[in-house]
Amino acid sequence: MAKKVSLLEDFTKGIWKENPILIALLGLCPTLAVTISVENGLAMGLAASFVLICSSTLISLLRNLIPKQVRIASFIVIIATFVTIADRYLAAFYPEISKNLGPFIPLIIVNCIILGRQEAFASKNGVGRSILDALGMGLGFTLVLLILSTIRELLGSGTILGYQVMWDSFSPWMVMVLPPGAFLTLGLMIGASNWINDRRTR
Amino acid sequence: MNTSVKMILVLTLISALSGGLLSYWDAYTSEKIEAYRQQEIQQAVKEVLPDTDEEKIQEAGDFTFYVGYKNGDITGVAFVAEGGGFQDIISLMVGVTPDFSKFTGLAVLSQKETPGLGTKIAYDPSRKGNETWFVDQFQGKKSGNLTYVKNQKAYGDSEIEAITGATISSNAVITILNKCIPTAKSVFESINQ
Amino acid sequence: MELLVIFISAAIVNNFVLTQFLGICPFVGVSKRLDSAISMGMAVTFVMTITAVVTWLIYHLLLVPYNLEILQYVSFILVIASLVQLVEMFIRKVSKPLYDALGIFLPLITTNCAILGLALIAVLREYSFMESLIYGIGAGAGFTLALVIMAGIREELELADVPRHFQGAGITMIIAGSLALAFMGFAGLI
Repeated sequence: MAKKVSLLEDFTKGIWKENPILIALLGLCPTLAVTISVENGLAMGLAASFVLICSSTLISLLRNLIPKQVRIASFIVIIATFVTIADRYLAAFYPEISKNLGPFIPLIIVNCIILGRQEAFASKNGVGRSILDALGMGLGFTLVLLILSTIRELLGSGTILGYQVMWDSFSPWMVMVLPPGAFLTLGLMIGASNWINDRRTR
Repeated sequence: MNTSVKMILVLTLISALSGGLLSYWDAYTSEKIEAYRQQEIQQAVKEVLPDTDEEKIQEAGDFTFYVGYKNGDITGVAFVAEGGGFQDIISLMVGVTPDFSKFTGLAVLSQKETPGLGTKIAYDPSRKGNETWFVDQFQGKKSGNLTYVKNQKAYGDSEIEAITGATISSNAVITILNKCIPTAKSVFESINQ
Repeated sequence: MELLVIFISAAIVNNFVLTQFLGICPFVGVSKRLDSAISMGMAVTFVMTITAVVTWLIYHLLLVPYNLEILQYVSFILVIASLVQLVEMFIRKVSKPLYDALGIFLPLITTNCAILGLALIAVLREYSFMESLIYGIGAGAGFTLALVIMAGIREELELADVPRHFQGAGITMIIAGSLALAFMGFAGLI
């Protein structure tokens, strides 16, 4: 029974309790940069999750093989390989999205979430638990990107996934799709998540 | 086993694995990526040279010219013009008549202007059914010494209506054109004497 | 003239942190105190300048001639990681005081996305060797500028009454938002 709970915990902790963005404050650069539209946010979340899951699986399989001294170098090479695969895949099959995300797809390599999970989890745990951990973290990351990009696209362009949802006379808040809007929205989201956590524990 | 030998062995192994996987993936995707790029350029050329049924490519210096023919006669020349925009480089496909005096069309290849403002040079969602009005208005205008007018219709032969709230982006397009067209003209004439 | 434009563009108009969102992690993490912000800024500028030069050489002398562009990401990140290590060893040998000032920040720089971002953008924009060099220095200066301004504000903030849930990261983001708004005033400068 205890084992079952801990497996579930491996998965769910990434979504809220140890959420990579809101709680651990990792991977902020792509979070802020690409969330202009829901489409971009979703693509970024999925690409990063793909890289995270593949890297975690491979690294937990190889964890006893890689000497301690060169582990960071090995992690980086493995991560960069999967990022190249994701980048090329998007460029070949979804060229518009690839154009919009620009250098932020290759920058997944230095996303602290991915390297951080390898160092803290995948290099110490078995394949099954590592995959669950990666799935949870990837989902937590994608969810925050989705919320943030929905707020920004709705207020900044009056649309969601390109479809008009606001009334016709709604005049878009230009600032939301500009850099300041990203910082302000994320700041408010972090404050809100702290407040919710506080309410829960009390 | 000696640790340093093991270190080198493992790193080499991982790098070799990564290289092998990537070279396979490269072969798989690069064709598609190249095809898309070609198609994008082809489409832009077609847009800016409406009155052609065949294009020939001429390369000279920094320029690649797409020369449009109809029934064997030259009807227009298209080339890529680039320059600084509001924040990043704007890349345009320019179509002109064979003597470079008038525009046959203009298309935006890539831009990173302010979302919702400067991006209207490529696509303006607020003008339903006429989203590419900014670049479309160049068709038929004279190609030298363009100027822009604000908040009113442009009537002059070399006047362009600027986008409200994005005068800098509008002006950037005009500046790129004013600078690149004379250069392109002299290069094109030097290879087609 | 071209080079000056690149410098100003990288340092102010397209500030790496406030308009391009590169290097946010150290921007949030190391902006609590002014002196450490200055040290971090110096360390990043230093590594950025070297990275800009070395990645340019690798890309144009090794990857392009042998048609190996697909290895761009893997090779760039390896170069950056080893560069940081080398710089750390070099500084420790040459100057003890400098090492004490920058030492703890150097390992953090490998995962600073501003460094890899710089290398990738320089390739994307097809910069020449000199342009890449200037771009690296400008980007570093811009990073330092943003970090120092932020640290100055946060030192003052310790005396202010920030709502409890916004303390730390929340208020930092909101201040960064106001700074980004201010930096937008520079847009169109070039």
